[in-house]
Amino acid sequence: MMTPEPRRIVGPVAVLGFGTMGGGIAQLYAQAGFVVVVLEVSEELLDRGRDRVDAFLQDGIRRGKVSEESREATLGRIRGTTDPAELAGADLVIEAVAEELDAKLSALALAADVVGEGAIIGTNTSSLSVTELANGVPEPARFAGLHFFNPAQLMPLVEVVRALQTADETVASLIDVSHRIGKEPVEVADRPGFLVNSLLIPYLNQVIQSYDEGLSSAEDLDLAVELGLGYPMGPLKLLDLIGLDVHLHAAEAAYSQTRRPEFAPPPLLRKMVAAGYLGKKTGRGFRTGAEP
Amino acid sequence: MTHGLVQQTVGVVGAGTMGAGIAITVARAGHRTILVDLDDARLQDGLDRVIRFLNRSVELGKLEPERRHGALAGLSGATALDALGDCDVVIEAVYEDLALKAETFGRLSGICRRDAVFHTNTSTLSVTAIAAGATWPERVVGTHYCNPAPLMKLVEVARARQTGEEAYQQTLRFLESLGKICATVQDTPGFLVNRFLIPFENDCIRALEAGVATAASIDRAVELGLRYPMGPFRLLDIVGLDIHRAVSLALYEQLRDPRLAPPPLVDRMIAAGELGRKTGSGFYTYDTAGMFGG
Repeated sequence: MMTPEPRRIVGPVAVLGFGTMGGGIAQLYAQAGFVVVVLEVSEELLDRGRDRVDAFLQDGIRRGKVSEESREATLGRIRGTTDPAELAGADLVIEAVAEELDAKLSALALAADVVGEGAIIGTNTSSLSVTELANGVPEPARFAGLHFFNPAQLMPLVEVVRALQTADETVASLIDVSHRIGKEPVEVADRPGFLVNSLLIPYLNQVIQSYDEGLSSAEDLDLAVELGLGYPMGPLKLLDLIGLDVHLHAAEAAYSQTRRPEFAPPPLLRKMVAAGYLGKKTGRGFRTGAEP
Repeated sequence: MTHGLVQQTVGVVGAGTMGAGIAITVARAGHRTILVDLDDARLQDGLDRVIRFLNRSVELGKLEPERRHGALAGLSGATALDALGDCDVVIEAVYEDLALKAETFGRLSGICRRDAVFHTNTSTLSVTAIAAGATWPERVVGTHYCNPAPLMKLVEVARARQTGEEAYQQTLRFLESLGKICATVQDTPGFLVNRFLIPFENDCIRALEAGVATAASIDRAVELGLRYPMGPFRLLDIVGLDIHRAVSLALYEQLRDPRLAPPPLVDRMIAAGELGRKTGSGFYTYDTAGMFGG
């Protein structure tokens, strides 16, 4: 197959949403020298997003990874706005608003109106269909998934997700720009959970179900996976870190699109979320607080 | 000297990869070790492997020369189970076949001391069914070592339904004397590690079959996105597709979980002789210099 020439993205880059993921993505592009415009719905959310990026950079300075000049330059290249008109001129849009179909569709429609049909548009969705989102913008051939992992600043992988409508040139351009910001892109098909989550969700579900069936203690379970498979973190510790509600949401989304039993949230997961045992953030989970 | 446990006499039955690896681990910890294989050539091969490993460990500065001396002085081989009459612990590591393993414990029951502890190093079979072959099944415990046994810290300890508390406690103490770390798991097909690993690998193979991404991309996504030490296809090429299929099928037959069924691509690759590194071709292609394609 002929690989098309990528279009060289030069910026400005428009990021929709200044939450954890949006801020991380904005920081990545700004650090790589791109001018970044971030759209949010309120000044308050813009301030909060900027503070979060600043805190991340300050932490980098403390750990000797970031210089003061680079912190200032990075922040200087990120401009926040509540006015969609200010996205004009962007040649790449990355949508990172709340993980809800309607919220994403309306943010994408706003941005698509302003940037015109020449800009490439990516969505950082993790659980929605990229093909369905692509259908919400004019010229869906320039649309693809661009799935970062949390924290986006540190995790090297980016999944470039090809929707049914996505043009080869769009994929090539996103792979090219991902390399240029120091990421490792992999091209994957638009399937529920894409690649990494489609592999992770059944594994974590099976772990929860096996634990519920008394396979071993929570501690031994994590220990066996860490020592026997060399994974960086046992699955129950990982679930506490991700948040059990976040995993439940991801599993439900994948199950509703596939109806495959391996994606169905196991009963213990639902019970723990119902009880408010969400992991680290609530002080109780599989390995946090008392064993369930 | 051993870690707080008196020197024991330990029999290892089966001198294949796992048996020899376990014998290394046991001898290195200072126990008297008797390696048994009914096949003389295989026994010699297993003993050679133990000696080579211990010599190499000294060369690499990982083992004190005196400890090698002690290990080799306490090491012997035999081609009959009769040699195991004095053993405190007997570790069975014969071919992964239920009838063979159960029968081995039946024969050991007539040879070994009444108070010996019996370990079975099965990876896919029921410890309970294996223990049923022994005269004193309460003395039988499942101990699943990870490959390579001398290097991997983890041992999964599985109690059969018949296993007594005393044998279980003795097993934990013995494994501690080997420097192992134990995870206690139920006697369930694949225990814990394989129960999670095999369906994950099959999911990866099915994603490849479905064209979600290339093998190299899936490996990279797993290594970078999940931070696993090795992508699934690189690992499968090392394990061998034939071995993966056998483990997968053994677990599928016991659990009937479709994620455990070997995907059709595995059968195709085996039919084509693409078993992984050992045949020079699997998900990747290899030459003596290593991987050059994908």
